[in-house]
Amino acid sequence: MTEKHEISRRTFIAKGAAAGGAVVLAGAAGSALAGCSSSSGSSSTTAAASSSKPGIGVGTPVRGGALNIGLVAEIDGFYPPTNHWDTNGYLYAQCLYDPLMAIAADGSIQPYLAASCTPNATYDTFTMTLRPNVKFHDGSPLTSQVVVNNYTALKASLLTGQALTQVVSVTASDAMTVVFKLEAPNPGFTAGLATQVGYMVGQAMIDQANAKVALPTPVGTGPFVYQNWQPNNHFTCTRNPNYWRQGLPYLDQITLRPIPDTIQREATLKTGGVDMIGSTDPNTIHRFQGQSGYQVIDSATDIIGEPSMAFIMLNTVVEPTNDLSVRQALAMAIDQATVQKIFGGGFTKPVNGLFLPGSPYYTSDTGYPSYDPAAAKKLVAAYTSKHGSAPSLELLTITDPRLAQVVQIIQQMWQQVGIDVTVGQVEQADLINDFIAGKFQAATSYQFGAVDPDLNYVWWSTTTTGPIGSIALNFPRNSDPVIEQAMLTGRHTTDQATRVQAYQTVNKQLGKDLPYLWLEQYIFSEVATSKVQNFANPTLPNGMAGWGFDEGIFSPTAIWLSK
Amino acid sequence: MGKYLIRRFIQLLVVSFIISVLVFMLVHLLPGDPTTQILGANDTAANRAILLKQLGLNLPLWHQYTIWLNAAFHGNLGTSYLNHESVTHILATGAPVSIELILISQLIAFAIAIPLALVVSRKPNRWLDNISTTSTFGLLALPPFVVAPILVAVFAVGLGWFPATGYTPFTQAPLTNLHEMILPSVAITAGSIAVYFRLLRSDLISTLQQDFITMARSKGLSTTRIMWRHAFRPSSFSLLAAAGINIGSLIAGTFVVELLFAMPGIGYALVQAVEQRDYLVVQGISLVVAIAFVVIQFIIDFIFTIVDPRVVRE
Amino acid sequence: MPDDRELLDTHSSRRLLTNALPGTAATDEAILATEETTAADDVLSKKPFGFLFWFAVCFVGVILLSAVLANVLPLQNPNFQNYSALSQGPSGAHLLGTDDLGRDLLSRLVFGSRVSLIVGFCGVAIGLIFGGTAGLVSGYRGGRLDGALNAFSFIILAFPAIVAVIAIVTFWGASLFHITIILGIATIPLMYRVIRASSLSFAQRDFVVAAKTMGATDTRIVLREILPNVIPVTVTFSLITVAGLIVIEGTLAFLGLSVALPTPSWGNLINEGTANNALSTDPFIMLWPALAMFLLLWSINLIGDRLRQRFDIREGLL
Repeated sequence: MTEKHEISRRTFIAKGAAAGGAVVLAGAAGSALAGCSSSSGSSSTTAAASSSKPGIGVGTPVRGGALNIGLVAEIDGFYPPTNHWDTNGYLYAQCLYDPLMAIAADGSIQPYLAASCTPNATYDTFTMTLRPNVKFHDGSPLTSQVVVNNYTALKASLLTGQALTQVVSVTASDAMTVVFKLEAPNPGFTAGLATQVGYMVGQAMIDQANAKVALPTPVGTGPFVYQNWQPNNHFTCTRNPNYWRQGLPYLDQITLRPIPDTIQREATLKTGGVDMIGSTDPNTIHRFQGQSGYQVIDSATDIIGEPSMAFIMLNTVVEPTNDLSVRQALAMAIDQATVQKIFGGGFTKPVNGLFLPGSPYYTSDTGYPSYDPAAAKKLVAAYTSKHGSAPSLELLTITDPRLAQVVQIIQQMWQQVGIDVTVGQVEQADLINDFIAGKFQAATSYQFGAVDPDLNYVWWSTTTTGPIGSIALNFPRNSDPVIEQAMLTGRHTTDQATRVQAYQTVNKQLGKDLPYLWLEQYIFSEVATSKVQNFANPTLPNGMAGWGFDEGIFSPTAIWLSK
Repeated sequence: MGKYLIRRFIQLLVVSFIISVLVFMLVHLLPGDPTTQILGANDTAANRAILLKQLGLNLPLWHQYTIWLNAAFHGNLGTSYLNHESVTHILATGAPVSIELILISQLIAFAIAIPLALVVSRKPNRWLDNISTTSTFGLLALPPFVVAPILVAVFAVGLGWFPATGYTPFTQAPLTNLHEMILPSVAITAGSIAVYFRLLRSDLISTLQQDFITMARSKGLSTTRIMWRHAFRPSSFSLLAAAGINIGSLIAGTFVVELLFAMPGIGYALVQAVEQRDYLVVQGISLVVAIAFVVIQFIIDFIFTIVDPRVVRE
Repeated sequence: MPDDRELLDTHSSRRLLTNALPGTAATDEAILATEETTAADDVLSKKPFGFLFWFAVCFVGVILLSAVLANVLPLQNPNFQNYSALSQGPSGAHLLGTDDLGRDLLSRLVFGSRVSLIVGFCGVAIGLIFGGTAGLVSGYRGGRLDGALNAFSFIILAFPAIVAVIAIVTFWGASLFHITIILGIATIPLMYRVIRASSLSFAQRDFVVAAKTMGATDTRIVLREILPNVIPVTVTFSLITVAGLIVIEGTLAFLGLSVALPTPSWGNLINEGTANNALSTDPFIMLWPALAMFLLLWSINLIGDRLRQRFDIREGLL
């Protein structure tokens, strides 16, 4: 049976703490939410006689070869209980490990390393059978006991324990069967098993970690075997000859190289130092699209659920942004089209909320104010005469050259309606600290990429807000009971129409409360030379098509290099 | 001689100790702590408290410092809070990168600056001097983060002569390593060329006006001999001093080039660690950098005494 | 009696012998030497400065004046972004073109010179006042004072600068004043070391020993014997350091630690001109500030050289 998955694999900022449980949509209506494409950003390749569509391989797979991939950033480690996996982290994981469940192209959750995962009638017990004859890289077998031991470590960890509080126990009922008992019914539980907490490692690695070895050697069941890792330099893995998926992988070797600077990363691709690169700068797409010899895919064309959004976050409990009229003025002063043209290269379309056209939750009328500088000026003037001085705030961003540009654009737009704006740049770690403690007035951020809106509950809930100075995940401290109610409705209902209604309500409320000023969709892209085949076309073990490009994450298993 | 060495060694210890205290204080004064980076979305008050306790960060500062110092004495500089790599390992793999970058860039700088200065100082303000002076001022106006992308665009992407990024250890593949090192070394050498050329030229011009030069000439010594033995030696004082400081500032200053060329040096590691509040990494690298600097100064002072015997070793 | 070599040493002899008591052999020698040099000076003073010199003077003058009078000059708003004029080359409307946010590059250059000139020159001034003086004295005196100052400078120099800058700017905040102070303090040990080295080399020379035996006070020796000899190296190094500071401010901008956006400075203009692929799309952003900095340094250097030629140093005797 297909189930909607909820928890997505994202950077830690956007990772929903799944403590709140999940949502399910039983039945085949899942297709309504699946594979929504937006019409913008066509990706193309001009390599003759190879792919008709980038990332989809044509012809017979060729065995052998070494693939070099340039990453945006380095991972901090390979042990799921103690490390953060962002987009880049998941690429490493996809090489070395297999997740118990995986996301299909239609958005449903399918078994991957597990053979099946069946809930009981009340959705509080899930019985999982493992695939037989699967071996870890060190030859040890995949058994239910190993899975249980994985979960013991995951639950005990500060990082991942939170995501598993709903799991009361994980036990091995026989050699190949694992039973998950939940504290409360959660039909969508298996979605979490497609994320970081679903990747299984071998017993030897768990033992090393428990023995306090700082860097346990990665041992997984995945298509590639760990060879060596030089942090901030390169990571190499070689083909797993005993991989349980017959005939896979095709490649002999994969090397991952983190190259932080975008232009340098593109230069490395052009000089052949790597065969494919990821990017979070939409201008990369511009620079390579249509170039012969390259294929480009991006996350604008294959959206499942909610895409990551770039926005300006406003603190709703400190001055002057605690005044709704100020927030409205700030929203109306932003000309999204201009921002997108300069910041994002004109690649994206104006956004009016969390969802994009093509999503069932999308409505054209979200109540989010449109660009109207005259009206903004009036509001600011009213505020100024009421308070005696113009509203004045600091707009924060991270020390990134593109974001430096966008805040200067926004600053001018706000100043033109009479607001007094200074700009500050801080390190990412500091900015996150500021968010958590509520020590900001306005700041840039990107978040909310989630296959299901329920995963974003923690960011918008009234239960996760808190006073300035204390730790709160509802960063803007926007405590809106209507949103809370709608999120809970969406979580617990099994009726699609009610769900859609609930999340449309959330979207409209956000457009009313204005804790977020939307800028554009946050785009991930991948550029590969034309010889890299099939990097966005994974097939799941049960024959279904897997989700090809999950906001920067793709599967290396079925990639081959054409001659 | 023995006393001199002992005194310098004590100086080394004292300086290292003071620096370690200063770095410790400075980096702990920064707002925030590594827990945000580690916990991410799982950051709750409870988790943060637990994590701080696990990492030993809830202890009073002086206690944390003594624990660290004690461990350092036993050769254990700790591990990164984030990727658990040991600080010693970070240094062992990162130091060769940065050192090699600095060495090659300084060699290039000396190879260009010294001969050029020797030639132009004899005839100042002639055309060669004017061109050299003009060019060096041009070099000063081009910092590494400007030179690097230009070099890559022209020599890596355009001509394909060099790789755009990457690092292979010298011990693994010496030729590949040198091949990868050229562009980044050239990117950081510009400023050094300018400094060394200008200083040496200025000093040489002054020295060449001393009458003992005329005397040497009148004794019939050749120009080359005079330049090298009589002019260069006394003029190399300020050059050496500048070299010492330059190298010292470069030790942790290569991070821009390391970032751009994706080289895992200690400059980049240090900056990352400060930003992520990876205290032990910051402290460990800073300590070693400081020690290295003091040692380099010591070597330079020693060379002083060889170059100019009039300088008395205190 | 000072030996032949030192007597013929042009700089120090003049000063040495002006300290000499009238009627001594030294005075006679001095008179001879002075006549000799006066003759030479006459020859030199007739030589005109030359076109390049005046060009340099004008350029420096223009830069300084425009920096001071920026507000009054008919310049466009350096921070105004004109979205219909992005990344344009030089034209009638924008003499030096526009940047990638449509801001006029000429006015950004002029307003940016303020930040850079202040950072560069005030920073070096701080270094010279504290570090230079200390180095001068310390190199000459030696002894315990030298040892202590040396150790102190070690500590500042050995401290990884980047950690200090990141920490201090994060803690204290980035403003023109703060950055100038921080960079100024960073140059103190540099000036100290270089000037100390130079001072040390001259302090060992026999003319200094001679002056001491003749009863000159330490102050006199430092000011009259050592300082003039140390000046050439000091000036050279200071000029280089000015350039260095302006560039370091650019590196700070690269790290996001410099003056708050959108305030321009030559350093952050150069940075803006290399970020976001601007080198390909709009090389002018980086070109003008680099060119301006280059010309400024070259001009100051040329002026200094010509002035020295005129009033002081003869050409090399080789």
